[in-house]
Amino acid sequence: MKCLVTGAGGFLGGELVSRLLAHGHTDVKCFVRPGSDVTHLAQMTEAHPGARVEFVRGNVTVRADVESAVRDVDIVFHLAAAMKGSAADMFLNTVVGTKRLLDAVAAQPGTGVVLVSSFGVYGVASLSRGALVDESTALEPAPEKRDPYSYSKWRQETLFHEYRERYGFPGVALRPGVIVGPGGAPLSARVGVGVFGLFLSLGGGNPLPISYVTNCAEALVVAARNPTAHAVINVCDDEPPSCAGYLRRYRKEVRALRTVAVPYPAMQLVSRAVERYSLRSGGQLPAVFTPYRTASLWKGNRFSNARLKSIGWRQLVPTDEGLRRTLAYWREREGRA
Amino acid sequence: MKTLRVAVVGCGKIADAHVGELQKMPGVDIVGVCDLESLMAEQLARRFGLSHFTDDFEQLLATRTPDVVHITTPPQSHVALATRALEAGAHVYVEKPLAMDVAGVDAIVGRARETGRKLTVGHSFHFDPPALEMRRLIAGGAIGEPVHVESHFGYSLAGPFGAAILGDPRHWVHTLPGRLFHNNVDHMLNKVLEFVTDPEPAVHAFATRRRPHAFGDVRDRMQDELRVTLLGKSVTGYATFTSHVSPVSHFLRVYGSRGILHVDYNIRTVVLEPGPTLPSQIGRLLPAFKRAGEYRRQGWRNLRSFARADFQFFAGMHHLIERFYESIRSDAPLPIAYDEMRRLAVVMDTIWAQIAPRGGES
Repeated sequence: MKCLVTGAGGFLGGELVSRLLAHGHTDVKCFVRPGSDVTHLAQMTEAHPGARVEFVRGNVTVRADVESAVRDVDIVFHLAAAMKGSAADMFLNTVVGTKRLLDAVAAQPGTGVVLVSSFGVYGVASLSRGALVDESTALEPAPEKRDPYSYSKWRQETLFHEYRERYGFPGVALRPGVIVGPGGAPLSARVGVGVFGLFLSLGGGNPLPISYVTNCAEALVVAARNPTAHAVINVCDDEPPSCAGYLRRYRKEVRALRTVAVPYPAMQLVSRAVERYSLRSGGQLPAVFTPYRTASLWKGNRFSNARLKSIGWRQLVPTDEGLRRTLAYWREREGRA
Repeated sequence: MKTLRVAVVGCGKIADAHVGELQKMPGVDIVGVCDLESLMAEQLARRFGLSHFTDDFEQLLATRTPDVVHITTPPQSHVALATRALEAGAHVYVEKPLAMDVAGVDAIVGRARETGRKLTVGHSFHFDPPALEMRRLIAGGAIGEPVHVESHFGYSLAGPFGAAILGDPRHWVHTLPGRLFHNNVDHMLNKVLEFVTDPEPAVHAFATRRRPHAFGDVRDRMQDELRVTLLGKSVTGYATFTSHVSPVSHFLRVYGSRGILHVDYNIRTVVLEPGPTLPSQIGRLLPAFKRAGEYRRQGWRNLRSFARADFQFFAGMHHLIERFYESIRSDAPLPIAYDEMRRLAVVMDTIWAQIAPRGGES
């Protein structure tokens, strides 16, 4: 099976290539940005002498680049997405890039797609606190009211389903929670945000739906075995820590952080004031907090991984061990800094 | 007030600013947004609550019949889109740079004149609050006669746009005659040309690349430091574009026969350095206090503006659009004269010719 991994130069991409090789998928094309450092990928392949790992440099928004990458591939793992930038830039790189890829896949019958989506596509603002989110939970009804990342991931996934239904290619969207591990972001927005040198702890006792990067990559490989079994699959580990618990460990094991815990009702009041001010002032300050975003991120939900388990996924790295490795990585980084 | 029907073509990052400012203005109806990539048009419409979006420019012109079209696409498409919009009877606001070269500027301006429609270009900093304050002070004789100007424009290649340029050798910036500079130095040069008013000032430009070689392709040929002198008969100018100086500054100094004005576009201050009024060493002691007091006074003024919600990031663009629309509604003079657009394009063409890398590199 010839695999293409877009975003192979990224945090999850590198781990996915490693898991593919471990599962014996030795014919892998890595699609990376021009100028990306692929040293770690090249080193990884040295441990698999029989493997045929190819590097294709290009831009996902450029039709010719994507067409050439997809050619003769059996399955595409589509990980490439923008993690930062303006709303328009994120949309361009995530959604338009996906459209280019799906156009190329649609023109090559038989090629399957495993899309990496996000928990951010769920419409959780109207759910009650602590509600369980599984694959039957409705998609976000007002994605433009969310942050630009969630909006672009929502449109990416809806576009994916539109194409899948129109062209009938095998495809599944995996929705990971917070992907953690060495090289990932140390503090998810679900835990809290830094403001003027102070860290606002906003997640409190909410479960932090982490997916250790190895476990997440394993989920992608397992899902690819039968990409027609389900249209969407949640990806998160068992026994998630609480947001406050994760923050405590981060402060103890990585670095001291001046934090203030803000209870959810208080954060809703702050968000309402921030949004009102932003509207009244004609956007003089952006509405970084709004009641809708606050409800989506910090009201608190539980996420099910039952479907993921039903397709044969096993959590390779226990939650506690994953956290230990993640925090050890950041402790070393902070120590060097 | 006549309501103007406005369309925006090109739905990238800067289109957000246009739509955001237009939505604050009375007498403006955004009738449609357009992008070759329909998803980009869709996202702009959805995020700003607009009802009509399309990927068909002709259809936009025909069915939405805009009075004004804002063109926020890459510069390579400006001539085609602007001339077509003018022919369709719309007035046109084009983001900078107006065109790829002086021939392109002539084509757009010529079509505006032929059709009797109006045209402006996105020289938004020209209408930023410090620029307006500077003109008021100079008109009041604060510095006497201008003698020399220095324009400084800092740029960060570490920002999202810089990352996009350096991340892709086929980025459209690499196909502009003046590459990185071409997309930015309107804001640097027009400040100098406001004072160096000669029809054809002497231009001397120097450019270099300070970054190390990293890619082995067109990106390594992109220069990132530019210095330009402009020599007029009565006023001279010096302009700096830098992408390595930190902090990333944006300021203008106007040297006059009786004082010097320091105009800072980032912190929005306009501070006058007058000639000495007291003799000798005393004359050296007091001005520092006076200058500190002036900065404090302007800090408070900015704070009051902020409290009135009148300290907006895109204030210059807002003022420029207002003046352009006023010009359309009441046939008032244009905010930017066509001759100024052409003079700037001539200077830019001259600079690109002078800094072109030698040895056959393109």
